[in-house]
Amino acid sequence: MECPYCERRCRLDGDAVGFCRMYAAGGDGVVERFPDRWCAYAISRVESIPFYHAYPGARCLVVGTAGCNLDCRYCSNSYAAKEDPAALADILLDLSPETLVGLAKKQGCHAIVFSINEPTVSLPTLGRVSRAAKAAGLPMGCLTNGYATPLATERLGEIFSFVNVSLKGLGGAFCRKYLGIGDSAPVIRNIRELSRLCHVEVTTPVIESENDHEIDAMAAILADIDPHIPWHVFRLLPVHRMSRHDYPGIESINARLAGHRQTLPYIYFHNFIGSPWVNTACPGCGRTVITRHSLGCGGDKLDTFGLAGDRCPQCGGAVRLLGAMVAWNAKEATA
Amino acid sequence: MSTAILDARQWQQAVDLRTGRPVDGDGPRTGMVRGVLARHPFPGDRDPRGNAWVTDTALDLAAAYDPGFVFLTYARQYYSARYSPLAPGERTEMVENAFAEADRFARESGYTTIVVGTCGMTGATTPIDLTGLDGLAVAANWSARYAGIYDPSARDLEFLANHPHLERIASRQEILGLFGGGPDDGARLPDYMAVTRTGCYCNTVSLRRLRMLPDAAPTMPVSANLGPVAGVTDIKARLLARLAGGEKTAVAYLEGVGCDDFLAPCTPCANGRDWFRYEPGDAHYLALTTGRHNVFSHNGGYRYYLDDSESKPYPFSGYFTEMARGTIGQDYPGRSIAVGNRSMFLHVTTGCDIAVECFARNLYNQGLMAVIHRSDK
Repeated sequence: MECPYCERRCRLDGDAVGFCRMYAAGGDGVVERFPDRWCAYAISRVESIPFYHAYPGARCLVVGTAGCNLDCRYCSNSYAAKEDPAALADILLDLSPETLVGLAKKQGCHAIVFSINEPTVSLPTLGRVSRAAKAAGLPMGCLTNGYATPLATERLGEIFSFVNVSLKGLGGAFCRKYLGIGDSAPVIRNIRELSRLCHVEVTTPVIESENDHEIDAMAAILADIDPHIPWHVFRLLPVHRMSRHDYPGIESINARLAGHRQTLPYIYFHNFIGSPWVNTACPGCGRTVITRHSLGCGGDKLDTFGLAGDRCPQCGGAVRLLGAMVAWNAKEATA
Repeated sequence: MSTAILDARQWQQAVDLRTGRPVDGDGPRTGMVRGVLARHPFPGDRDPRGNAWVTDTALDLAAAYDPGFVFLTYARQYYSARYSPLAPGERTEMVENAFAEADRFARESGYTTIVVGTCGMTGATTPIDLTGLDGLAVAANWSARYAGIYDPSARDLEFLANHPHLERIASRQEILGLFGGGPDDGARLPDYMAVTRTGCYCNTVSLRRLRMLPDAAPTMPVSANLGPVAGVTDIKARLLARLAGGEKTAVAYLEGVGCDDFLAPCTPCANGRDWFRYEPGDAHYLALTTGRHNVFSHNGGYRYYLDDSESKPYPFSGYFTEMARGTIGQDYPGRSIAVGNRSMFLHVTTGCDIAVECFARNLYNQGLMAVIHRSDK
């Protein structure tokens, strides 16, 4: 039988497992090999994940499972995403959806975000968690590489109310060399579809001389889908199989972005300590309405929130926003 | 105002340490420090060049600033043992390398160098799952021995008391009593502290497979050239006495190196009090640099995330919401520097005039940070 979850469409016959090693054939179809098993749960800011336009300031319970359907040379969570999940079984936590949601509530979290590995490899488990989270009033978000089937993408849009899709590259040669997939067409298709279903932000790690020349084309694609999509351009952190590579140049990447800030008002450039390109300006009048600071990889934080609801206090124009700003300790009193 | 210089490789930004906002960073001292950072990019926590980076950077900074006191941290052997599968003998080689680097600093700088260890390391054998409690268990990413327990039910307490891999469940009152605190000192202590047995660890937020853990030994080594010390909190006074005599002195703090690993004549001294033993980390640094136990404020079970509110100052200082007081760097009137490959709290815990530390979070190498606390010496 064919795995219905990602565009690899692995054959799962007999004892075969998919590329992600998270699915196998069962009596009634494809089944998860490690349901309800988690590699970690930790508290993080929603800006760190990153989401800059969803529930600003929110305290999130960040969770992950194991496995991935891509083979990125620069995977930043390879210890969970690229290890054989079976080899991690002794340290994976066995948490029911209710227990996981209970941990989020006990720690005063406002949302649950799946962000350590790829959610497509654990969709049935995440579906169960989403039911428990919805009952508890906790929205769910995720990071995804977007290489899911249309069926699985629709499911992602049902489970998650905010999604950050990684648009890593466009050209076939880049996709084959750096991601281990044939092309990026399914990812672009899914960004378009997800932006119809839920709040979407997009992240692009930039590798100098490899995909920086695609920035113009990516900007055009995003502008066509929705020019108000927040776009997080990352300076690539060279890790995993790229750990010996140079760090990309900050000024040169930023220069490439400059021409697109008029058509895409929510371009951010970060993933390095002290980035000054992490604030939100009102698209209508240019006033800085949200400020943040960045500690680099997974360490961004809201500093000031100057909107009235989702409106600029100066010109009254709308700023893309899902949910309201949440004070960090708001749920401590009731947790 | 303390100034932080953030170095993300080929790109630097000067900020006010307290607010995190950009400031003018063009003075002569900041220029000197910017140059040191640019000449010494950090190779990474577990990189074989990680400890040589400490020595090279410290020699460069010391040559430019001429301090009387130098605090060095060598941590590569700790991170590697904790997270890397090591071949037989590999950890021994790394410990030897750490000593060699401390020796190189002493030889090339001429500073009297006191080598200080921590507890040793032991295999990570047994994860402990406390997610099933009715209450909440909180274990910091870097603590293996302690987990804070909040709002436990009677069922929880019975479960914890009978857990085969827990050594002790200590109440807040017990911890206060151990360190002579009053009721007002317990705000940052959990209701109970779960204390694991050697080799066991609470499996909560850790994202990576642990290979070795601090063994939480009751004693830690201090090189014999400091003279007799009874415990970690006695080291500061001995150092200040040396410095008062005009002797240029350095401390080389070797993380994850215990008495059994120590490659120089040493004095074993108390690494805590009674059952409370320090792991390498902020609390141990503070005990050493302030001469006081700071367990009430810095312990493995505090819900550290509560401090991370929108109004938290010092955004580049980890979980610290204020600069430590009474540190050796503050109390020594002469010039001082700190250099180390342990990130984000060296500048807080040492209080030295200038601190250069790696900026690596959860082993992700972001670059470097230098903090200039004093420009008036």
